[in-house]
Amino acid sequence: MTKIGLEIHCQLTNLESKLFCSCKANYRDFKINENICPICMGLPGTLPRLNQEAVKKATIIAMALNCTTPDKIAFFRKNYFYPDLPKNFQITQLNIYGDTSIGGTGSIMVGEKKINITRIQLEEDPGRLIYEGSSSKNLITLVDYNRAGTPLVEIVTEPDFEGPKQVRDFVNILSDLLENLGVSDPGLDGAMRIDANVSIEGGKKVEIKNIGSFHDLEKAIHFEITRQESLHSRDISIIQETRHWDDKRKITVSSRSKEEDLDYRYFLEGDIPWVRIDPKTKAELKLKMPESISTKKERYVSKFNITPQVATVLSSDKFYSDLFEKSHTESNAKEIANIITTDLMGLVDTREKREESKITGTHLKDLADSIQSGKISRISAKNALYEIVKTGKDLSKVILELDLGNVSDESTILKIIQEVISDEPQAVEQAKSNPQTINYLVGKVMQKTKGKADPKLTLDLLKKQIG
Amino acid sequence: MNLKISALEFVQEVKNGNISAEDFVAKTLERIQSVDDKLHAFLSVNEEAVVKAREIDKKVKSGDKVGACFGMPISIKDNMCIKDSKTTCASKMLENFVAPYDATVITKLKEQDAIFIGKVNLDEFAMGLTTEFSAFGPSKNPWNTDYVPGGSSGGSAVSVSSFECITSLGSDTGGSVRNPASFCSIVGYKPTYGLISRYGLISYSNSIEQIGPLTRTVKDTAFMLNIISGLDVNDNTTRDNKNEDYLSEIDSGIDGKKIGIIQEMVGDGIDPAVLSATKDAIAKLESLGAVCEEVSLDMVKYSVAAYYTITATEAGSNLARYDNLRYGYDFSVEGYEFNSYISKARKNFGPEVIRRMIIGGFVPSAGQAGKYFLKAMKVKSKLTKEVDEVFKKYDLLIAPTVPILPFKIGEKIDDPVSLFQIDINTVTANLTGKPAISVPFVISNGLPIGIQLLADTMQDKLLLQAAYALEQTVTLPEVPI
Amino acid sequence: MVTEEEIEHVAKLMRIEIDDHKEFVDKVHAMIDYFDVLDSAGVESEEISMHEIPISDLRDDKFIPFNEKLIDTLNNYKGTYIRAPKMST
Repeated sequence: MTKIGLEIHCQLTNLESKLFCSCKANYRDFKINENICPICMGLPGTLPRLNQEAVKKATIIAMALNCTTPDKIAFFRKNYFYPDLPKNFQITQLNIYGDTSIGGTGSIMVGEKKINITRIQLEEDPGRLIYEGSSSKNLITLVDYNRAGTPLVEIVTEPDFEGPKQVRDFVNILSDLLENLGVSDPGLDGAMRIDANVSIEGGKKVEIKNIGSFHDLEKAIHFEITRQESLHSRDISIIQETRHWDDKRKITVSSRSKEEDLDYRYFLEGDIPWVRIDPKTKAELKLKMPESISTKKERYVSKFNITPQVATVLSSDKFYSDLFEKSHTESNAKEIANIITTDLMGLVDTREKREESKITGTHLKDLADSIQSGKISRISAKNALYEIVKTGKDLSKVILELDLGNVSDESTILKIIQEVISDEPQAVEQAKSNPQTINYLVGKVMQKTKGKADPKLTLDLLKKQIG
Repeated sequence: MNLKISALEFVQEVKNGNISAEDFVAKTLERIQSVDDKLHAFLSVNEEAVVKAREIDKKVKSGDKVGACFGMPISIKDNMCIKDSKTTCASKMLENFVAPYDATVITKLKEQDAIFIGKVNLDEFAMGLTTEFSAFGPSKNPWNTDYVPGGSSGGSAVSVSSFECITSLGSDTGGSVRNPASFCSIVGYKPTYGLISRYGLISYSNSIEQIGPLTRTVKDTAFMLNIISGLDVNDNTTRDNKNEDYLSEIDSGIDGKKIGIIQEMVGDGIDPAVLSATKDAIAKLESLGAVCEEVSLDMVKYSVAAYYTITATEAGSNLARYDNLRYGYDFSVEGYEFNSYISKARKNFGPEVIRRMIIGGFVPSAGQAGKYFLKAMKVKSKLTKEVDEVFKKYDLLIAPTVPILPFKIGEKIDDPVSLFQIDINTVTANLTGKPAISVPFVISNGLPIGIQLLADTMQDKLLLQAAYALEQTVTLPEVPI
Repeated sequence: MVTEEEIEHVAKLMRIEIDDHKEFVDKVHAMIDYFDVLDSAGVESEEISMHEIPISDLRDDKFIPFNEKLIDTLNNYKGTYIRAPKMST
């Protein structure tokens, strides 16, 4: 049986400052080595200053993953030499002297499958290496420390996954969950990085590191299973090792790390006392936790009669569910859910488009109300939405500028109906015996009014005219 | 100009206009010029000191608010960062390191108008107890320049005892303030762990070390503590002392106080002169109304092994950052592979530092941690329990600071294990986090002996009162330099 | 008893090249042998603890940029990157 376990590193991107100093947590907009200070550069004499909010946000993650949360947390040093590590050790967590890591055992459901969490730890991200020249034979390594010290949670799972598809589903659920908690924006480049442990029946565990994207995660695991099965079928034993995902060749490659590199000499970080997380603080954090995705979904279905499919899509994406929460009323909720899931999602389907989009809750509310009151048609609403996303103008202004308002003036519609009746004598005849055909005629009226004729009024008038 | 006055006298004299800070500082610099060739306390001297002193004199004259130090010249062990000045740790590895920030103690002293007269010598990265392991040459004991001044804060002790400054800041990881204070016949203080911020002190063994003042009187130590102690946002391990005034009530005496004599520190290996000095000290404390009784701390036997295991482990990690990439000395990375480059670059560490780092790699390694490191941590825990238990019955503990007299330079440098034993009386305060002080007590055949007192956690004020009482019972000859 | 190989291995782990082998190994040996006294301390059942602080004592999450351009004071490559040697893998 194939067994896969994951180590997910997720940056707490929504924090203001780094884990142990006051530099910016979101380092992405800085020039090279300009988001650094003596502390995150590990200069002689500096000491870590633990970020209170990081401890709280990491605790919330542990709670959301149904993990135990300890009464006190401790930090340890993981010692190894690497140029992206200013102190040549990483401050991280372990459970050496009792359960002192920010999260203990827990679990979440992926469909019908329960995935067990081993541990969650709070730690610092290293800097970033840039290889000059080709990556294998580079002459020099350049280091940018802007990322060094960024708060990171590492979520370690049990080897409970049976295949790449399960892994992908889990990562999607986890990514939505972290975003919904308001602790991280997993869509940011490098905000979520995953190592996978893969083993097949009768083989040793192989760790794959350096998997750059969610997309490659599935590929890397798939490749690794195939590689191991191929070895197994040829009676070649699978050794325990660490392999790197080669992003360009899309294969895993053995890392020639020597045995001595694996002795991390973990010991207590004396510069950070053990931090008590008292029951009152835990209760407060629990109370402040945002509604979970599944509860949200259930509420959408039961309270607003939204279909389970639409509710699932809407609740799992924080961007859309936030818009929904800001715009809906009891009466227009279903309409808004439909606008979001059928029209808006198609318009803002990438991260960039979302960030550029100018839409607000008020826009959505106005749109839904206007549809329900017959002020504009659904077709016009879609056109208006396109304009609103682009410009952020008020709906009333968009309707005026693009002339999208419904024609509800009887005489105007009647005039057009007359035209249609004279254009389509055959259809008019059929309509007298077959009521289905009348919809065809309504469509023709709509065509001539570019979708603006009040559909209900048009139908009534047509029926009267045909008799 | 009398350079021998205490810090409190200096402040009074400048305040009253009897002397100027500028004159005093200038004379101090002359003194350094004339004696430091023989003593080698200083690694660098602050050329700006006189200019700074002049500014303070101006403030005094114009009646502006002046900080509590009134331009008092202080020397700083060269493992504490002063912004824009060299901080070498007496190591070739950091020979060119210029600190881009001030240590918290430096910030506090600057606010109180202290003048940093220079950076003083130490064993490289504070690893040693003789100052012989400085990469820039040993300091000499002013009582006899053939002898070691103790260490690792040897430069601090020498500069204070030979009037090259009024007070000094050192750091004490296993006795590094108290040991040289004892060897040079001055006061050396190791506060409760967390009483003084370590921000800006270059770590050797961060879980047990503290910055501490070296002064000529106990009152001066209390004066320094008033300035540099207290909670600091930059050091998560600092404690809130509620702005305690350590000077007030310092003359409360020790009548009725119970003092435990630590048996394990006056037994095997103690020099007869040191033992007899200790007995004298006990008699004097008893004559002041204290009740002295023998106590036993079983774990002391293992404390030195535990101490070196823990400090080597932490040092191995703390010194890992010195890979010469971000700062360091001239040595191009080109043409090297990462591991071979840093292994070569790190050859600039001295032999004692290298030995301790190797041990620091060995004892906590995956295969050995259970045998050495974990046991050492457990000895630390058990020793702390034992000491806590003793402090339920006693107010203070007493032992000689160092079991032997100062020895000759070079005498023990090749025998690291015999050097270990010298730490036996001092490491307990570090492993347990308790405050401890060395008070100069007697000169025996031309060599100083200090007496050590310990108190319970955050009982620093009580400890200073006892030390002051003991200090008042002795009169010491003047240093012969 | 610690072997010479073990010490060499640790030297590599700690990224330190050793010269004058014999003398060095002998001294380190003697130091480590001294630690064997820990075996007789009888502390197996002892628990390890540390000073504790409440979560409320920790630093607030505020962005405060370092007020000077730090990279200029460090070994830098054209004022931007830090240079490291090539990596072996």
